[in-house]
Amino acid sequence: MTFAERMLRIDRRIIFLIIGVCTLVPLLFPMGLAIKTSPEVTSVYDYIEHMPEGSVFLLSLDFDPASKPELYPQAVALLHHAFNRNLRVIGMTLWLPGTGMANEVITHVAQERGKVNGKDYVFLGWSPGGGSVIINMGQSIGTAFPTDYYNQPTASLPVLAGIQSLRDVQYVVSLAAGTTGIETWYVFGKDKYKFELGGGCTGVIAPGLYPLLRSGQINGLIGGLRGAAEYEVLLGRKGRAVAGMDAQSVTHLVIIVLVILCNVFYFMLRRSRQGGGQALPSGS
Amino acid sequence: MSFELILGAWVAAGLTLFILTFLYQDNPLFKLAEHLYVGVSVGYAIVKTYDTVLVRLIYEPMLKPGFTQGEWAKGDWSLLIPLTIGALMLARYAPKTAWMSRIAFAFVVGVGSGLAIPRVVSSYILKQIEDTVRPLLMLGADGGVSFTASLANPASNLNSIVLLVGVVSVLFYFFFSVEHTGPGRVVARTGIVFLMISFGAAFGYTVMARMSLLIGRLTDLIEFAQPKYGGATWWLLALTIVTLIVFHLRRGRTEPRQ
Repeated sequence: MTFAERMLRIDRRIIFLIIGVCTLVPLLFPMGLAIKTSPEVTSVYDYIEHMPEGSVFLLSLDFDPASKPELYPQAVALLHHAFNRNLRVIGMTLWLPGTGMANEVITHVAQERGKVNGKDYVFLGWSPGGGSVIINMGQSIGTAFPTDYYNQPTASLPVLAGIQSLRDVQYVVSLAAGTTGIETWYVFGKDKYKFELGGGCTGVIAPGLYPLLRSGQINGLIGGLRGAAEYEVLLGRKGRAVAGMDAQSVTHLVIIVLVILCNVFYFMLRRSRQGGGQALPSGS
Repeated sequence: MSFELILGAWVAAGLTLFILTFLYQDNPLFKLAEHLYVGVSVGYAIVKTYDTVLVRLIYEPMLKPGFTQGEWAKGDWSLLIPLTIGALMLARYAPKTAWMSRIAFAFVVGVGSGLAIPRVVSSYILKQIEDTVRPLLMLGADGGVSFTASLANPASNLNSIVLLVGVVSVLFYFFFSVEHTGPGRVVARTGIVFLMISFGAAFGYTVMARMSLLIGRLTDLIEFAQPKYGGATWWLLALTIVTLIVFHLRRGRTEPRQ
């Protein structure tokens, strides 16, 4: 067995170990690699930065704990920014499994910023229906959510004073791990009720959302942990996303090296087999 | 630090390590974590759905005002209509009444299609076509023609040409009524190049996303290794390794020799 053949048949657990170590080491010993901000993330930041004090900002946390590493830092950064600007924050989710986590992130950041539930912010919780909920909120937020997460009647909350429907909301950001998410908010919300819409998403669905960004259907897009890190840099408040960027960069580098090595070994093997008139092993 | 937080850290660290053991090989610790995940997820969904839908959106608006204020008239009895339609879905479980569920499904399909089709056509087709058809040259106020060649600017004329070539060639690649020979072959091959770039970008983002998940779990494990959590990660890592060794030895004894 040649060296190239041995490498192509390597136990995949060795690859897992290499990736694990290369992820762990930068987390333990950060290098502080530079993070450049992209226009799509800056657009979301700029929009919130220029919203007048007391404007209504709706954050829809449309993800579950499986996407927490990517979207939780985005939620934290956006909430800090909104509370910095003294916006009225409405939190909600269209994903049932994420309800508890969504409440936790909003409550946690609000307490850190000294904001009062019901007066400065509200978490409406989850309501079934996906797109139907958005349509319902477009008619009346009080009908879609008669009570908030803590069972307080929404009609009596000072933070929602003067807000009848989505037409009274200035900016909506959906942090989505799939559908129901950003596209649903555009299709059933923005297109009809004419609020501005931004998005945050996992890396997996980001490529599919760039057409919406380019056409102006969403005004900005925060993509994955990288997007969260960019937002933290813009905010000047480095958190978990920035801390994870070194590890992300190192693992990407390792994966690129592994892909190149795999191709080199493959072509070495092919050349040697062609010389000897043998077929390549299956799976190589 | 509260007891709940410390207990949560131990559970999170333990289940993370148990799930990661699958990278070594399938084992009882992984199975335990997997079954717990499924059970807890389903249980959580049932409880939240019951509380939100049945209690808060149906029971309380209909009956609670009457109970608390003695005014039954305040109850929102119009909710009986969706409740009845929803209940018809359950008729499927009895063969004799199964036909009644079709009324509910017809309602869902009809309303869903009516709501979705116009909005989806407007958002995904018309808007995207509108954005795709962009001027390849710019007409200035003085009547002159200009061309912007910046690749970094999505709205530049050069990018409009790239977009046009990409859309046309990919559409042609999926046009099977004409044989892809001669010039058609060149266009179809160009379409493949655009598709490959698109797949590459999607794969790159997917790798980034998966690595982010690993980073998230490792960050938590590092945090839970701190003394304020009782060094949860270290103790549970030791337990996991010992269990894997025991499992490995026991399996070696019980498996028949080849």
